[in-house]
Amino acid sequence: MDLDTVKTRAGPREFSPADDLPQEYREAATRMIEFHANSEIMGAYLERPFIRQAPSIDRKLAFSAKVQDEIGHGQLLYRAAESLGVKTREEMLEDLANGDGKFLNCFHYPLKSWVEIPMISFFVDGAAMRRQATLRRTSWEPYAHAMDKVCFEEGFHVKHGEDILKELMTGSRKEQEMTQEAFEEWWPRIIQFFGPTDDKSTHHDFAASVGLKQQSNDELRDAFLDQYIPKARKHGLEIPDEPRIRERDDGTYAVEEGDLDWDEFFTIAKNDYEPGLGQINGRKQAQDAVQWVRDTIEGDATTAGGHAPQAAD
Amino acid sequence: MIWEVFRQEKTGGYHAHCGNVHAPDREMAKQFAAIQHGRRKPTNSLWVVPREEIGEIDTEDVAFGGTTDKSYRWATAYNTTGEDAVEVVESEDEQATAERQRGDD
Amino acid sequence: MSLESPTELDARERDALETLLKRLADDEFVLAERYTEWQVQAPSLESDLALANNAQDELGHARLWYDVLEDLGFEEQELIYERDPADFRHTTLVERSFEEGDWADAVLRSYLYDAAEELRLEALEDSAYPKIADRVGKIQSEEAYHLEHAQNWVERLAEGEEGHERLQDALDRLFPHALTLFEPVDREVERDIVDLGLRDATLEELGEEWLSIVVPYLESLELELPVSAQVDDDTFEITEEMLPEERGRDGSHTDAWFDLHDELTHTYRDLGRSETTKIMEKPE
Repeated sequence: MDLDTVKTRAGPREFSPADDLPQEYREAATRMIEFHANSEIMGAYLERPFIRQAPSIDRKLAFSAKVQDEIGHGQLLYRAAESLGVKTREEMLEDLANGDGKFLNCFHYPLKSWVEIPMISFFVDGAAMRRQATLRRTSWEPYAHAMDKVCFEEGFHVKHGEDILKELMTGSRKEQEMTQEAFEEWWPRIIQFFGPTDDKSTHHDFAASVGLKQQSNDELRDAFLDQYIPKARKHGLEIPDEPRIRERDDGTYAVEEGDLDWDEFFTIAKNDYEPGLGQINGRKQAQDAVQWVRDTIEGDATTAGGHAPQAAD
Repeated sequence: MIWEVFRQEKTGGYHAHCGNVHAPDREMAKQFAAIQHGRRKPTNSLWVVPREEIGEIDTEDVAFGGTTDKSYRWATAYNTTGEDAVEVVESEDEQATAERQRGDD
Repeated sequence: MSLESPTELDARERDALETLLKRLADDEFVLAERYTEWQVQAPSLESDLALANNAQDELGHARLWYDVLEDLGFEEQELIYERDPADFRHTTLVERSFEEGDWADAVLRSYLYDAAEELRLEALEDSAYPKIADRVGKIQSEEAYHLEHAQNWVERLAEGEEGHERLQDALDRLFPHALTLFEPVDREVERDIVDLGLRDATLEELGEEWLSIVVPYLESLELELPVSAQVDDDTFEITEEMLPEERGRDGSHTDAWFDLHDELTHTYRDLGRSETTKIMEKPE
């Protein structure tokens, strides 16, 4: 299939591993899904210490289940990426470990305290869910199928995240203040989740033209603000003065992008941000430490299947 | 040799098990399956899988989803404040349906 | 003698019940806490999901046992977050920290524990305290998966040279601690637990039965026990000199436990909490 045909046909769930797709499509789809999968893993890596630090048995259970789900999403997504025949899961995990794999800006920052948990589990997960819901109509069928299951599970994460936020914001004055402080620190990063404005985004045009991406960064960011600014206020959080948020006549919101730190964002995008590097290396160390187990079981034929890219027939 | 057949009705859908065929090899299995399982019902694609390659684990072997309370992992366990995002509501509805179905077993 | 109602227990009954339940709950709680260390660190994404699942199961079981303790007037924060770590009664087997990448320790510990757990739950099936007997069935069906999971892994690792060596190392370290699974908190109270019908086997019986299962199994994988527990062909025994210095059951613990308790209560203390959040309804 040539690229023009791909662009003409590009509809929801249009292409499957049975289709003979051009390399440009395969590479763009791999890059996008690999980024998504890596983000699941690095998000889980960031949150895992809080399974232990959760302040009750039920919270610990929910948080363990949440981190487990994210690893499950990584599993689904790496498989969806692998089915494009460009890279194996092993290669993608290897790249993530050695600092070549890219992932979401928010997961490069350290997570220090329980009061920061809703920033990830409610706001970032809420943002992710906005995007993921649109990706159920992506043109790569295995990706859309992965999104079906991810969206099915993710509602629990967002609602649990909101429940933690509610508890903190109805808790002691100290808890409320600590949470507001965390919100102020995280808010600009959360808005940057959707990346730079469309005219600065490098990969958007192609991904949109072949149906991989269904909504632009700007549309998604605005849709997020419309939904989550009222939510934040309902819980008593004050929206910081910066970045400036404009309310349009129809009640929707837009952010003044120049107020956001794009230097930091692009440093992060290159995996050059110090705390993020620590997290990448920490995960690498853990991955290397169990290499011996993978070596031991790989002699077993029943675990094969991840060795060679599964190219289309 | 027996091959299990999975049918996808239309582009983008899931392949669901629909039956099987006897065939000596993969090529023949695909040809037979096309006639036997793709002839009448709407079909976009078929998969054939050697029966002997399929592993099975059932409710005799394991209690799927566990036997103790796991409601903490369902959106339905949490109350929220104000209007939820439409995709969160959808997810919760899907979970509520799945929970009901599990309960019906 | 009626053990039907928690409000009508005499001091001796109450002591026995509390002792039994704390062993059960603390074992499961601390084991789960250690298992969660493997989340995002397991050898593969699939094995990560599986062990996380077992962690949640164990934590769910701990929750059920702590809930029975709540009948005796305790609350969750008193049982975990505000409790003196030296008052926890879990076996030292479950508190030890994992060295990074030591999957052999994780699966062997799981095997040693789950094999004992199976026997212990059997001995509780007809407990004179109805709430205990009622909860055993639900827990057993999840534990069956854990034991199989552990054995599957132990057997696969034992086939490789490095895996075998690491299993042997883990066994040398863990085995003495595993024996504390069968140590009493207090001999008199332990006698009461059986006399009152709370559990229908003594710890000695459970320990000997456990040895008669795990010793041949481990030997069949060419693993050597660090101490001999075998008296003759089919008789096994745990003796004083086989045990480690810290026994867990009597409140003596290794440093790993005190660090762990400090970490897991961090948020609770940091936020100045005085109660714990419940998400699920109280178990029936």
